[in-house]
Amino acid sequence: MASYYQTSDFRNGIKVVVDGNPYVMTYFQFVKPGKGTAFTRTKLKNLISGAVIERTYRTGESLERADCEERTMQFQYQDGDMYYFMDMESFETIGVAQEFMGGAEKYLLDAIEVQVMVYNERPVGVELPNFIEAEITHCEPGVKGNTAQGATKPATICQGAVVQVPLFVEEGEVIRVDTREGGRYMSRVRD
Amino acid sequence: MASPALEEHLEAFAVGGRFLHTSPEFALKRVLAMGLPRIFSIGPCYRDEEWGPLHGAEFTMLEWYRLGCGYEGIADDLVRLLAKLGVPTPRRTTVEELLPARPEDPVEAQRAWVNDVEPKLIEPTLVFDYPADEAAFSEVRGPIAERFELYWQGVELANAFTELRDPKELRARWEKNNRARASAGRPPHPIDERLVDAVARHGRAGGIALGVDRLVMLLLDHSSIDQVRVCG
Repeated sequence: MASYYQTSDFRNGIKVVVDGNPYVMTYFQFVKPGKGTAFTRTKLKNLISGAVIERTYRTGESLERADCEERTMQFQYQDGDMYYFMDMESFETIGVAQEFMGGAEKYLLDAIEVQVMVYNERPVGVELPNFIEAEITHCEPGVKGNTAQGATKPATICQGAVVQVPLFVEEGEVIRVDTREGGRYMSRVRD
Repeated sequence: MASPALEEHLEAFAVGGRFLHTSPEFALKRVLAMGLPRIFSIGPCYRDEEWGPLHGAEFTMLEWYRLGCGYEGIADDLVRLLAKLGVPTPRRTTVEELLPARPEDPVEAQRAWVNDVEPKLIEPTLVFDYPADEAAFSEVRGPIAERFELYWQGVELANAFTELRDPKELRARWEKNNRARASAGRPPHPIDERLVDAVARHGRAGGIALGVDRLVMLLLDHSSIDQVRVCG
């Protein structure tokens, strides 16, 4: 039995079915002309093709929930454009094509646990943990004596993800990173 | 207030069998009927079921009314106010010009408006002459309602009318909206008899309601009215 999202349930990240295809909501805004009926403007990203569509729903209209399964899986290895993950209970392995990784491939660490989204038995996305701890593989040395507040420099972590870090952070140090919104430095991690 | 609104799609907060006002319009029209020729009000209004960066349960509305003119006179007032605030003189257009292939179904017409028209009204724009079925409180002339709105940066900022003075017509619109509310499972908005009486007695008048939070938001280059309110 299909279940539905009402316009008041709309949130970024909900997965819905439109014209038979699965989408994730990436934007929603309530709009109501002063003398008219209320609508919610949305942007929806196709979970398979990545194409973004814009749709506007009237209050009272609803969207079918996409039956997406999220499986906790461990990263195993990369082979060309394919990334392989293993279910650590069933030992089943799933390969996810680069186009469905959505940038998450840059954060893959050995044996990192992620959520693999599966729709109709096809992997259609990977969600990273919100926070990861990773060693800085490359960054320029900080400039001694520079105490300017808010000054940052780029640092490379994992498989090429770049985050802005404060000047006192050095190559080889382990940092805690928020992987949402494109990666954000949180703090150094001390042993 | 004894009644929160005439419009079908306005929800009020009910308090002890009465309502927080969704706009000061009803009270101001009673003042117009007393014969005061130029009146205004600025203060909080309350609307339920509206949220997001451009809406709030409480917001600030400026309304003014002028006897002896229609919506054109109010448009002149508005242009002078905007000039004092440093807003460029709005261009003038009509609903017909902006949405020539307006869908017949009223919901689809509004969907087309919020999708295809509103986001493009970036420069300050006065949109005149709404279809008669979107008249609300305005005087109707043939297929056209004497109503205009101000848009800027895709944001609806103000709504103005040549005020309806026919009590029978007002009552008919109110009853029609209440039938629509009933079929949508909504409680009716009670007809405010003191308002019906007032519109029958005041002279020809124009009036306007302007969203102050939204205007201040745009003047200060913000994207949410929460950023210009002390408490969101």
